[in-house]
Amino acid sequence: MDWQGQKLAEMLMQLLLVASAVAAFVVGYAMADFQLMLLVYAGGVVLTALVTVPNWPFFNRHPLKWLDAAEADRHPRPQVSATPSTVGKKKAGKNK
Amino acid sequence: MCFAASFSDHFNSPSPTASVKILNINWFQKEANGNDEVSMTLNISADLSSLFTWNTKQVFVFVAAEYETPQNALNQVSLWDGIIPSKEHAKFLIHTTNKYRFIDQGSNLKGKDFNLTMHWHIMPKTGKMFADKIVMTGYRLPEQYR
Repeated sequence: MDWQGQKLAEMLMQLLLVASAVAAFVVGYAMADFQLMLLVYAGGVVLTALVTVPNWPFFNRHPLKWLDAAEADRHPRPQVSATPSTVGKKKAGKNK
Repeated sequence: MCFAASFSDHFNSPSPTASVKILNINWFQKEANGNDEVSMTLNISADLSSLFTWNTKQVFVFVAAEYETPQNALNQVSLWDGIIPSKEHAKFLIHTTNKYRFIDQGSNLKGKDFNLTMHWHIMPKTGKMFADKIVMTGYRLPEQYR
């Protein structure tokens, strides 16, 4: 799952949970059945999990474009070098 | 969801009915410690089915004798109670002696006018509890012990 996919999954989860809660209340109130309300909501939670938990293809539409490994060799990491001469310069500077 | 279910209870406007008849004063006496006690046979009938909504778990109901004495503006003595588990059981007629003893803390019951009040507490599946009552007036205890 790519970054855009994660954002989409989060949004879908929020939307589906709220929608199933609203639907559950409407059904429960209309049928005057509290248990039915909870069952509809439980169904909504299971559906939400099925939609947002597995790594579906539509969560991978924005793959990251990694640079080629050869690019790292062309720009080597700067090396830290602490030579005695530079240390001596710093000390001299402090004494002035 | 639960809040909405609880809130929907406010749209229910119940119309419960209740009546209690005193069929007999079985006995009426002063105890050794000076307190009056009376035993009576009651016919309690009520239709509380309109109290039930889809969010109602059960209803607790009790009948109390309420009267005024020189010491206290309101005395309440519970005579009978019950738990109604469902709407189907909410219409009932019960013939019973007082389940709990009707004792005054003193000797104030001779010829006393009193009310019988049916109180109920609605226990919801979620959310707010409701309580209400029906006051039935015009009851009177005998002038003499028997």
